Amino acid sequence: MDRNRLHNQVASMRRSLFDQGYLDDQFIQLEELQDDTNPNFVQEVVTLFYNDSTRLIQNIEQALNSRPIDFCKLDDYMHQFKGSSSSIGAKKVTNECTAFREYCNAENAEGCIRSFQQVKQEHAILKRKLEVYLQTVTSFSNSMSCMETILSYIAYTIISSSLYIENMDKYGKLFGTTPQTELGVDKCLTTL
Amino acid sequence: MTPTLPSGDQASDQDNWDNGRLAHKRQLLTEIILRNRLTALVVDGDTTCRVLEQLLLHSYGVQTQGVDNGRDAIALIASGVKFNLIIIDMILSVLNGLEATRQIRDMGVHCKMLGVTACSGESERQAFLAAGVDVFIEKPLDPEHLVPILRELDGQ
Repeated sequence: MDRNRLHNQVASMRRSLFDQGYLDDQFIQLEELQDDTNPNFVQEVVTLFYNDSTRLIQNIEQALNSRPIDFCKLDDYMHQFKGSSSSIGAKKVTNECTAFREYCNAENAEGCIRSFQQVKQEHAILKRKLEVYLQTVTSFSNSMSCMETILSYIAYTIISSSLYIENMDKYGKLFGTTPQTELGVDKCLTTL
Repeated sequence: MTPTLPSGDQASDQDNWDNGRLAHKRQLLTEIILRNRLTALVVDGDTTCRVLEQLLLHSYGVQTQGVDNGRDAIALIASGVKFNLIIIDMILSVLNGLEATRQIRDMGVHCKMLGVTACSGESERQAFLAAGVDVFIEKPLDPEHLVPILRELDGQ
């Protein structure tokens, strides 16, 4: 079944994201905060992170291109970047931010520039992986909703048919025919 | 319906990679029920962090407000709004977290203050504690640090 395949796919992708060190326990925290009142919370927070961090990347690039380099400003930007990446459980991105800040504290411009390339790389890799993963989760969720709709319809049909059979005599008198005739059945089902 | 994601305590052996840790986390998340209505102020310039911290507090039944800079935090407290808990980042725009913390304490506010920041150095920790926070927590704020504090504030 497609649903089982999707379930296995979601599980495998999720395990891989943790095993390969892209995500840490904090991502589980996001999943725990997702519920019926916030059904898309994980997607929304990840989107929020990538919107904000893209702006931060632009600010950091500008700061790295300015002469002389303002290491205090750079450190503030990277502090914010590290804080938000750690808050969504982006483990590799956070580690690269930590490395960057060490170069920043040492006022090592070349080190900062090299390190920033790593930050951007990990940031982009995780974005692609999360997009695919969350899309698969959404597909799985939609397949569950579809199945629920189908099962609900089947249950409704069974219950309706049971009620019809219980009230055969009443319907027969109502439509002037025995319920077994096709015409009678159609009329009864339309009435329901 | 929120999809049921593969999780440790429902998974097959193949998925059992974090069984113990996930169960422990869930236990921590659900093991506190507040008897009193607590209020908290989150002061963080980063939207992602602020949203997450506010929602985490909200999930425990804490009423929260959020501001993104130190000046607005001072203004809110000066207006008379009382909080049981203030969570404040070190690096803030307009007025940084260290100075904002000092000013809040100088205003006679004695509530619990948590310095929650991405800085992890000992010098930053000492500076934040000296400014007036009660607890220094490296981001991200998680239930393991938060729940005992909420329990204390709730008198449990």
